[in-house]
This record gives sequence, C-alpha cells and structure tokens, in this order.
Amino acid sequence: MKSNAVRKMSVAGSLLAASVTVALSTASAQPALQEGGGALKDRRIGYVMTHKYWAVYETEGAKTECPQGFNDGPREQFKKLFDDGKKRSIVEAQLKREGEQWHPTTEPESFVFKEAQGNVSYGLNLDGKIGPEDFTSPEGEKGIDNQLYRVIGCIGHYRTMGTINHFENLFMRSYDDTRIVIELTEVDDLKNDDSVVVTTYRGGDGLLQDATGEGFIPGGTQRIDLRWGKEYVSKLKGKIVDGVLITEPADRVMLPWGVTFGTSGYHVFRGFQLKLKLDPEAAEGLMAGFVDVKAFNHHLNTSWSTHHHSYGQLSSPSQYKAMMRLADGYPDPKTGKNTAISSAVKVKFTQVYVKQPEQKELVSKQ
Amino acid sequence: MRVKSCIRAVGTVALTSLLLAGCAGTDEPENPGTPPRVRVITTQQYLNTVGNVFGSSVSMDMKFPPLRRTDGLLANGAALAGVTAGKIETFQRAASSIAAQVVAPERRNYLIPCTPADEKKADPECAKQFFAQTGRLLHRRKLSEEELGKYVTSASQAADQLKDFYAGVELTLESMLISPEVLFIVESSDEKPDKNGTRKLDAYSLASRLSFFLWDAGPDDMVLTAAEKGELDSERGLRKVVDAMLASPRLEDGMRAFFDDMLGFDDFDALSKDPTVYPFFTGATAADAREQTMRTIVDHLIHKQEDYRELFTTRETFMSPALAPLYQIPASRGWTEYTFPEDSPRQGLLTQVSFVALRAHPGRSSPTLRGKALRERLLCQVVPPPPPNVDFGKLENPDAHYKTQRERVAVHLEDPACAGCHKITDPMGLALESFDGAGRFRTEENGAVIDTSGELDGVHFTDVVGLGKALHDNPALPSCLVDRLYSYGSGGAAKPSDRPLLKYYTAEFQKSGYKLPEILRTITLSDAFRHVTEVKKVTSNEWHGPTEEIVIDEQLPTTTTVDASSSSHIQTVALTNSHDKN
Repeated sequence: MKSNAVRKMSVAGSLLAASVTVALSTASAQPALQEGGGALKDRRIGYVMTHKYWAVYETEGAKTECPQGFNDGPREQFKKLFDDGKKRSIVEAQLKREGEQWHPTTEPESFVFKEAQGNVSYGLNLDGKIGPEDFTSPEGEKGIDNQLYRVIGCIGHYRTMGTINHFENLFMRSYDDTRIVIELTEVDDLKNDDSVVVTTYRGGDGLLQDATGEGFIPGGTQRIDLRWGKEYVSKLKGKIVDGVLITEPADRVMLPWGVTFGTSGYHVFRGFQLKLKLDPEAAEGLMAGFVDVKAFNHHLNTSWSTHHHSYGQLSSPSQYKAMMRLADGYPDPKTGKNTAISSAVKVKFTQVYVKQPEQKELVSKQ
Repeated sequence: MRVKSCIRAVGTVALTSLLLAGCAGTDEPENPGTPPRVRVITTQQYLNTVGNVFGSSVSMDMKFPPLRRTDGLLANGAALAGVTAGKIETFQRAASSIAAQVVAPERRNYLIPCTPADEKKADPECAKQFFAQTGRLLHRRKLSEEELGKYVTSASQAADQLKDFYAGVELTLESMLISPEVLFIVESSDEKPDKNGTRKLDAYSLASRLSFFLWDAGPDDMVLTAAEKGELDSERGLRKVVDAMLASPRLEDGMRAFFDDMLGFDDFDALSKDPTVYPFFTGATAADAREQTMRTIVDHLIHKQEDYRELFTTRETFMSPALAPLYQIPASRGWTEYTFPEDSPRQGLLTQVSFVALRAHPGRSSPTLRGKALRERLLCQVVPPPPPNVDFGKLENPDAHYKTQRERVAVHLEDPACAGCHKITDPMGLALESFDGAGRFRTEENGAVIDTSGELDGVHFTDVVGLGKALHDNPALPSCLVDRLYSYGSGGAAKPSDRPLLKYYTAEFQKSGYKLPEILRTITLSDAFRHVTEVKKVTSNEWHGPTEEIVIDEQLPTTTTVDASSSSHIQTVALTNSHDKN
C-alpha cells in the first residue's frame, strides 16, 4: 500500500501531466494556416491538354525511319503529273486532283509512298497482342499498335517542325472550344491507386501561359462545356501504378480537335486508352486508339486547305490510300476490310480545377 | 477656437439653428490652411476629366511623364513638377488625338451641341455654344466673354482658312486642351487675408480641390453650378455638394487614385519577376493583383462603409481567373466576390499578392522591403535608406548556407550600421515570410520550416494573421490614413503645425467608426480645407532644402511646402531631396 505522501505526489504528478497535456493539446488545437489544400481535392484532380502531337518516332536526320527521304506533297505530285508540256483544261488537271482529294480511292497511284521503316514506335498495345506488324516502344515494350506511324512518319507535316505539328497546337491553345480536359475521380493516392475513374470533357476556358512564354500555369480553372450536349464526355476505368495512369480501352471517345479560326473539328478514337505519368501539377504521356480512316481524312481536308498540305508535303489522296492499306482495326461487317487504323498521340496536360456547369432549371419548369 | 466663436455668435434665437448647422460638432482647431498651390494635372485626372466631358467613346491611350513621389505621395509631387518641352509634346499629342476624335463624323452629332449652317464655313454661333460649354468644364470655371471670344475667333479663322467648320473647332479645341488653365490646377482666393494671413479659397478653386480630391477629375456641371451660385460659400450648400459627391459613383475613381498613390502601386508599372524562379507570375497576375486590392478597398470602404482598420484583417476580397492559381483555388469567369476560409493565411491587405509580391525582389522575398513598406505606406513612418558603403555580399552570395530569409536577414543585425533600421523593418516583415517573392503561400524555404513570428511596436505575434491584428490595433494606422488624405486633398504634405488639425481629424475618424466617407466629409467640410495662407513668392534661385526628418515614433509626415505665386506668375519648384525614394 502506498503512503499518503506517495499518493499525493502521484496525484500531483498526474495533475501536472494532465495540465501539460491540456497545454499541449491547446497549442496543437490551433490550426495551422493553410492554403488551397492541394490539387487533389475531394479525391479529384483535373488536367487540361496543352500539347498534342501525332506520335512519330524520329531519329537524327530521319535516316532510320525514312531512308529514302520524305514523301511528295501536292505541288510535287502536280508537277510530276502535269509538267509534260501537254495542254490540259482545268477540269483535267486542277479540278481532277481536287476531286481525288475529296473523293479518295484505294486505287494504286503512280507515286511511290514512303512508309516509315523500322520496328520502333511510340504507342500502346491496343489489342493486347504481340503481332508481326507491331512495333516495340523506345522503352522496349513489345506489341505496340501504331500503324498510323507507318503512314505519317515520312510526311514532313507531322514531324517536329512540321506545320500540322505546330499549328494544331497553336490553334488548340488559341481557341477555347478545342479544350480537352480530363478529370480523375475516386483517387486515393496519385502514386498508386488500383481503381480510378477518368472522364474526358470539352473545357471552355483559356490556358494560362506562364511567364517564360513556353509553359503553362497549373491551378487554372476549366469550366466544362455541355452547351451542345455530352458528346465529348466519356468515362474510362483506370489505375495508377508508380505514378502512371493506365486506362482500360474505351469503345468510343470523341475529342474536340478544331483547328484554324475556330473550326469545330473532332476526332473519334475507338479502343481509346491513356498512359500518363501524373504529378500534382502536370500529366504527360500517350493517348492511343483506332481512328476511322475516312473520318481522319475528312478532318484533314476540312481543317487544312491544299496550300497548308503543300507546306508539309502532305498529299491527302496518297495518305488516304496508305491509311486504308495499313488499317488494322474495326473491319467493315460487310466487306471485312479494316476501317480504322491504330494511332498514338503524345500529349501533355497541366493541372486545372474542373468546374461543372451549373444545373439551370428549364424555363418551361419555372 | 472656432467653436468658441460659434458659441459667441449664438446671440439670437433666430440665428441659432442656422449657425449650429454650420458649427455642429466642430471642435476643429484653428488652422491657417495650406499654401495656395499650383498642381500639374496627372494622367489619370486628365483622362477622367476628358472622359467625363466627352464620354467613354473617345479613346485615350496616353501617359504623361511620372511625378516625383514626395513625402509619401505622388500627388504631392504634382505641385513640384516643372514642365519641359518634352512634356508639352506629350500633352500636345494627347490634345491632338482627343480633338480629332471629338469632331470625327461619328461623334460630332452628339458631342457638338449644334450643327453649323454650312460645314464648309465658320459658324461663330455654333462654335460659341460648343466652347462655352466645353471650355467651362475643361477650365473648371466659366469662361469670360473675352476668353470665349478668343476661342470663337480662332475657330472661325481656322474654319475659313481650311473651309471646314469642324477642322476649325478641332484646332481650337486642341489649343484649349493644352492651355495652362487646363493643364494646371491653380488655387486662388478673391479675399484679402485676415490678421492671421488666412484667406478663403474662391468658389472655383474650392470646387476643383473637392473634385480632384474626391473624384480624381475636374468638377462637373453640378459642382460648377454650385460654385457659380455661391452655394459653396455656405456651410449648408457645401455640405449638400459634398454629400452629393460622396454619393456619386465617381468617388470610386477618386479613392482608387488615392489608395493607388498611398500604397505606391505605381511601382507595379516597373514590377518584374524572374520567370525562371516564378514562372506562374505573369503580367496578368501583376495587373490583377493590383486590381484585387483596389476592388477590396473600394468594396470595403465605399460600398460596405466598413472600418478602415479591418482592411488589414478581412478575409473578403475579389478573385479573378489569372489570380486564382496563385491562391490555389478554382475561379469563376471574370471578377467575383471571394471569402478566404477561416484557416487561410490570407487575412487582410498585407497578405494579398499585391503587397507581398510588390514588396519583394525579382527572385526572392524580402522581409526588409515588406517591413519598410508597412512602416512607410501604412504608418507614415520613414525608414532611412541604407548607408552608401553597405556590403550586400553576405546577403547576395548564392553559396550562402542560410536556408531561410530569417537567417539571411539576421546578418543585418551583426552590423551596427544596419541593425538600427532593420530592427524596425524586419520583425514584422518576417511574419510575411509565409509568402514567397511572388506572393505564393509556403511553409518551408529550402527545406527548413519558416518561423513567422514577429513583433510590431511591442505587439508580438506568431504569424501573419497576428501581424494583421497588430496593425489593425496600431494607433498610427488610422492617423496615417488621415494624414495622407489631408495631404492628398490639399495638394501637399502636412506641416508639424498641422498636428492639432490632424489629431482632430483622427478623433473624428475614430468617432465615425473609422469609416472612409465620414473622414472625407470631415476633411472637406473643415475650415482648414477651404482656406489658404498668404501667397509666398518664390524666386527662381530659391531652393527648398531637404524635407524635415521625422522619427519613427512621430506619426506626422515630413513637411514639404510648395508655394505658388499668383496664377498669372506660375512658379514651380523641383525638390532635389526626398526621404521616400521607393
């Protein structure tokens, strides 16, 4: 049995300890000042696209992938076809070529089309298989499906410094209705999460260019544009492994892809997938899928006129024939011929807060 | 004391109510008023005035040469500015552009109040109508018949020579827009000085003083009419005009100009951040940061009429898409009202991007610049410049092992020559280390936790919220505003002999709950605001010496007096010394 003195000391000690505890808890109860709460809020994080390039694996001087040089464009082809001194009417020459551009066929032509050579390409394994036509990624992953690269790899337009490469990005940044936004939800951890949902949207706000003039400021806001419907809204299932988001193939994803002067173009990807390295401020990687060849050609011709094609030696009729020849997906049920071609796009995003449109009550219900 | 003379005046019952209306609540100490001043019109005053006269469709992309900041205000420099040939050229370019736009075919029908009988000939009657109306507003007084006659003759001669009525009006309007009467705000009195050498400003001078103070523009028809009718000479009439001016939306223009000046926001014009260190801080960020603070001030002080001191603790502000990323929050389109959460470090003007980014270096924060700005801009205290032989090597050496600014600025305290001043700037500046040089919130610097504790005039705090509260409770905060307002409104820094007057204003400000419109009313209705001292002639070889040194515990400004001779002999003086070189 403890003595009274010991008991008193014990009680005093308890009281002292309690008072210290109270003091400490009071001090720690004062909340620390904080701002924002981070980019990942309510298990959500959004990103807006700032860069997009049809993925072309380029070696120095294009010696590996284009050993025979680049393809001809409209002007070179026109000269080869009609520079023989023979007199022709406009219908027989210019309008004939224009007609072939807008109504392309798979009939062989006299020009040699230079496909990209080699077996290395950017892209994703869209069909989950490793086939004889598949590429290997620069990182060594086999089974990469990107037959579009075979088509466009030796067309100057699509390569670094090419005009489509440049202007598709310039106009995407200039026009708010071409804004591609993705939002990740149900995110517990931006490093590793075995189940997240990715939703694609069309945004409606400008990008915030940074003070260097080369980058974009994270933390902007994109309001989702649903004024014309939900065609650009698609949901994907995915996971994050070591900071890399990988999504399961989605049957059909439509993305705004307007180019010059506010044209409202778009691309539709079948079997769409994303593979993006994520951090709280940015995301970078690939988006891939099968693009319908006819739709792709239509987008090209309605977005860019022949003089644009000429700047980058892009012959639309020749490209169409090559795309149809190398198409590797979504066969026509009647003919059995493939209608879509595997493709990949190198992309960069910067973090944004995604704002859903306010639900406005219909006037008729008021 | 004026109150005593009022009491003595209450001799008859009939006069009691009338006199009390004029004297009610006035414990205003006797004060001779300010010297009559000649001020050059500022860019914004010119733009506002021309905009008010001709409307917003006249585009005016112009900027006059900057004024010298004097005793805390650019406005004080307006009374010290000389006019060089280069400046005249700038004024002339502006005038030429404005005159051409006024007579342009798309505007002449509504900006010129009549149509000439023949566009290819002079029409003196029509020209007279236009110049009488426009000249009154631009000169801020009714033109004499002789003056008007000269303008009309000039317009007619030009129209005859050019065979174009509107060309004649254009050339004459251009000459009017660059005339000294338009470009210089000249204060005069038609009274003889009393035994104390004090004279009442004449009605037109008072109208201009009121208007440039409250609206940052020349008086409009309502104020000029009141001046012409003698209403500004009576307490009742003056109160009516002041009330109308305080209720006008133009008060926003006036107070924007004042606070932009007081806070030294002209420094935004030269603000640049290192884009490699702060890539997120763009020109749009800087412009919106300035605007955010202006909107906060206007909303808090004018729309809501709240306590001035609470500007330094309020969580209420406005947000724009360009600013929101820096505050790490989503934004709506355009400017929207925004309230920071309770646990936010953004509480009060000191924590807005405008203050912490403007008062910092291009690539790093600066407790010293922030503390200095707080002392000088908000408390009207003067922090002397660094000694000329100061060695910045220890601070700027990139290999320095100091992780935080607190460690870095501690070096100042090792040198007695530096310590004296840094002790009065750094302790409160360090609390603002929660924000980097671009105004972004942070808790660490180079991996080290930032200690934001500090002290302001004996009040200790642990973070920037505590600093805001300390500033709120600092008696120098409202007295400084009062001082700056009086200086700004009267065109020059207050003198030590104005101390009783400023104390009176401050006491009235306190009684009103520190509401801005009330202190504006108190100042504009005071005798001191309406009176000027006797003219002191300045000879061309007479230079003003340095302005008076003011120690930190004094809450009165340095004194810069600028005297103007009579309006026909304008003498401007440029000071070569000023304590405020920021």
